[in-house]
Amino acid sequence: MATIEVRVPDIGNYQNVPVIELLVAPGDTVRADQGLVTLESDKATMEVPCPVAGRVVELLVALGDTVSEGTVVARVEAVDAADATTPKAVAAPAQAAPRSTPAASATVESAPPTPASVAVPASGRAPDFECDVAVLGSGPGGYTAAFRAADLEQRVVLIERYPTLGGVCLNVGCIPSKALLHTARVIDEAAHGAAMGLRYGAPEIDLPALRAYKDKVVGQLTQGLAGMAKQRKVTRVTGTGRFVSPHEIEVETADGNKRVRFRHAIIAAGSQPVKLPGLPWGDPRLMDSTDALMLAEIPKRLLVIGGGIIGLEMACVYDALGSRVIVVELQDQLMPGADPDLVRPLEQRLRKRYGAIHLKTKVTRLEQGADGLVAHCEGPEGPLPPETFDRVLCAVGRAPNGGRIGAEAAGVAVDARGFIAVDRQLRTNVPHIFAIGDLVGQPMLAHKASHEGKVAAEVAAGLKREFVARVIPSVAYTDPEVAWVGLTEAEARARGLHVGVGRFPHAASGRAIGIGRTEGFTKLIFDEATHRVLGAGIVGPNAGDLIAEAALAIEMGAVAADIGLTIHPHPTLSESVGMAAEVYEGTITDLYLPKRR
Amino acid sequence: MAKEARVPDIGNYQGVPVIELLVAVGDTVKADQGLVTLESDKATMEVPAPFAGVVRELKVKVGDTVSEGDLVALIEEAAPASDALPAEVGAPATPPPASAPSAPGVTPPAGTARAAQAAAPEVAPPPAPAAHAQPVAAHVPTDPTPLIPGNAPYATPAVRAFARELGVDLAKVVGSGRNGRILEDDVKAYVKRTLATPAAPAAAADGGSGVALGLLPWPEVDFAKFGPIERQPLSKIKRLSGANLARNWVMIPHVTQFERADITEMESFRKAEAQRNPDLKLTPLVFLIKAVVAALRRYPQFNASLAPGGEELVLKRYFHVGIAVDTPDGLVVPVIRDCDRKGLLELARELGEVSRKARAKKLTPADMSGGCFSISSLGGIGGTAFTPIVNAPEVAILGVSKAATEPVWNGTEFRPRLMLPLSLSYDHRVIDGADAARFAAYLAEVLGDVRRLLL
Repeated sequence: MATIEVRVPDIGNYQNVPVIELLVAPGDTVRADQGLVTLESDKATMEVPCPVAGRVVELLVALGDTVSEGTVVARVEAVDAADATTPKAVAAPAQAAPRSTPAASATVESAPPTPASVAVPASGRAPDFECDVAVLGSGPGGYTAAFRAADLEQRVVLIERYPTLGGVCLNVGCIPSKALLHTARVIDEAAHGAAMGLRYGAPEIDLPALRAYKDKVVGQLTQGLAGMAKQRKVTRVTGTGRFVSPHEIEVETADGNKRVRFRHAIIAAGSQPVKLPGLPWGDPRLMDSTDALMLAEIPKRLLVIGGGIIGLEMACVYDALGSRVIVVELQDQLMPGADPDLVRPLEQRLRKRYGAIHLKTKVTRLEQGADGLVAHCEGPEGPLPPETFDRVLCAVGRAPNGGRIGAEAAGVAVDARGFIAVDRQLRTNVPHIFAIGDLVGQPMLAHKASHEGKVAAEVAAGLKREFVARVIPSVAYTDPEVAWVGLTEAEARARGLHVGVGRFPHAASGRAIGIGRTEGFTKLIFDEATHRVLGAGIVGPNAGDLIAEAALAIEMGAVAADIGLTIHPHPTLSESVGMAAEVYEGTITDLYLPKRR
Repeated sequence: MAKEARVPDIGNYQGVPVIELLVAVGDTVKADQGLVTLESDKATMEVPAPFAGVVRELKVKVGDTVSEGDLVALIEEAAPASDALPAEVGAPATPPPASAPSAPGVTPPAGTARAAQAAAPEVAPPPAPAAHAQPVAAHVPTDPTPLIPGNAPYATPAVRAFARELGVDLAKVVGSGRNGRILEDDVKAYVKRTLATPAAPAAAADGGSGVALGLLPWPEVDFAKFGPIERQPLSKIKRLSGANLARNWVMIPHVTQFERADITEMESFRKAEAQRNPDLKLTPLVFLIKAVVAALRRYPQFNASLAPGGEELVLKRYFHVGIAVDTPDGLVVPVIRDCDRKGLLELARELGEVSRKARAKKLTPADMSGGCFSISSLGGIGGTAFTPIVNAPEVAILGVSKAATEPVWNGTEFRPRLMLPLSLSYDHRVIDGADAARFAAYLAEVLGDVRRLLL
């Protein structure tokens, strides 16, 4: 016997459309496509059709309720099942409990766990775990959501397929890459000691020890997470989880399948590196970012496909360790999305050090040779001579994991690429299921995920919250670092916005000169009408740390004078932020600028 | 090979119903001939055939709803030298029509089939499925909209979070902080004000959206899409008077009675008197006040208010007249008291004083309360008539337009007379049309011969 839930179909962009008429009653026999209830938006009235012929078991909305796409309207028993099986109690509860809750979300929250799903009926099996909030994925978004929910007195189950918490960020992303980038920086600074009268020998690289250092950093953090999960009484379930109904996730654990029943779920299943099709995946010499972080060896010749943040960071590490690096990028600049002027100092430095940087170039073929992978590339002027590499890193982006979690069984809409659309409260189309982090859209950044995780946990716990941040800083931890936040100059120009830029070259900073790094600059982008800061870009050492002040200034709606009149400590690179504001204001004394107004 | 005819760019409409099919399968159509008619809430429009040909298949029927990019018909091109391009070439990523999911980022082909056809041969679609194209967008430009001053409420993250908690739409809150920054206290004050607003004039409580009146919600248009815009906060006076005017307009059944008064004699008398009193500004308005007082005496239902509950009329035995004064910040209505006991000169003096106070923003609430009847004079500016809104709880208001010399038939000949247009709006719940006509006619009579004021 198949009882299905009839949901409000795609009704355009409408939210909370009122139900103005009930066209059937529990017990009624309905034909396929027969209207069950009538909705009325400001533009039109429409009926919610029954997708199958059958008998109405329960109506889950009452007159005046408001519904949105995905709201369950009724439960219908498909007709091919014997129609005598209807339990007689079925009709009563629906009538007895008219649902007068005003908001669609509230409607769902107050509902008893719905036993059936769109495609998959509930197992009826007793769950192994029952909780208020199930979090699928324990990356920076997932563990933040789990911890916040636990702190809000929710019973939380945190499902993670790997034995360590922390997801990509802690295990195979931000943290290990930054540990290695630090190593790269030490190597590089030691090499530049000569200019300051310090001569070291060439570094002796103990690869196993370096790996151990990286693993120690990662281990310290993941163990810290495990400890905090325990302190918060978050139940951990290790294994791959998939939705099996709107209120159940089944986890394949080492001890067999476990069923987690939840009131709310937060999908935090992240993303994975895109594996370009047509490349010889399976050949260990072809790596994605995870493989590259494993540091299996230091290749003599490394090809990096993709000149984005991830590719360039790993290029930076391997370059410092001694590889000859060649970067191939499809677009016309490295780090697409950043202002070209920010990327220039980095590019100049890399062009000096690396074998080559090819822009507007794509790898057309990667041949498996005996002594390496032979790359055939095609640039704007035609094919480049084939070149052999010991290893190739493919870092062309990350793909969301939305398609791998059985979302359809919960009725959660996932688009063709694996992204899950959410609202400002991080709710998916199924109001009691949230999604956060990489799989809700760009930018795929840990600090975005953790903020979203917090909001989702708070909303699930009944707080009235939403994502209020307006800007999300981006940082490339290359050498020099490149960081930007808010409006970029290119976007301002493209949109014809009336903005002014205050730019302070680090060549005028005593500190930058002292550390021998004067190639960078700090720029702030201001609205000309109000002088409010709308964006910032920094290139230079520690740009990632410096950008935080600009992010705060943007969120606070600071004007140029607020930043310029804030006393920045001397001599630091942070001064450059204040000075950039002074450049815009025309009050700078550390530079001589001809009168501009 | 049949090609696709799709719904072209129809503005921001989604799910627009098809109300008419203009062609049938087998019909020969010319380029730009209408195939089907769509009807949005604003307009009906035809989906044109992108090229001449024979309709092979109609993909919609009456009552279907369509959006930009939806497939409407398949048309076999008439032109002989069709290079037999498969229709899919221009749009390899097209999801099955009709059920096009609202996937963010997956834009259905925007152009018509014609555009797709033209574009297909030379331009590959941007997400070219070539072997080594970057399959995932490396970046998504930040949407700077919430950053641009004027587009987004000027409030810090903590205040934004606080507003969300209280369910306050910050776009409706006016900030009292530096440069209009919205502070936590502004959010609280907004909530208090909203709660204090009685439920009836809900139009104000819900920000004037009209939803509470059971009306369509106010149209939300992203004006910036159509050209440069600038946002300016309404002055406090405008916001307050706006809410009052909206309530009065909605709750009072208004009727406006038009009349003209011959003020030729009045004006010559006024000008003579004005010369004798150069220190005073003896305006026609002073005479209007006196005339209104005479009319109010004669028709006391105009000097009245509906008692709460609407079952009784409160008749006033005093004659306080409100005068609408235009100030740089908006409209204010100071009240001149006991106009029945004051002479023209005294009224002139008081009127001058009150106007000065109004423009200097020195009026107190007491100066603006207690009115029985209001006069709104635009005579100094122009116009032939207008329909003023009754200033509740008063029951009538007199609008005055610009006087003009006109030929008037006096029974034997046309004479040039200075005629003053009057517009009397009244609350039809209290005042009958006949009474209003009488009141207006009497006003004209008194103004026509100001000696009647003595009677």
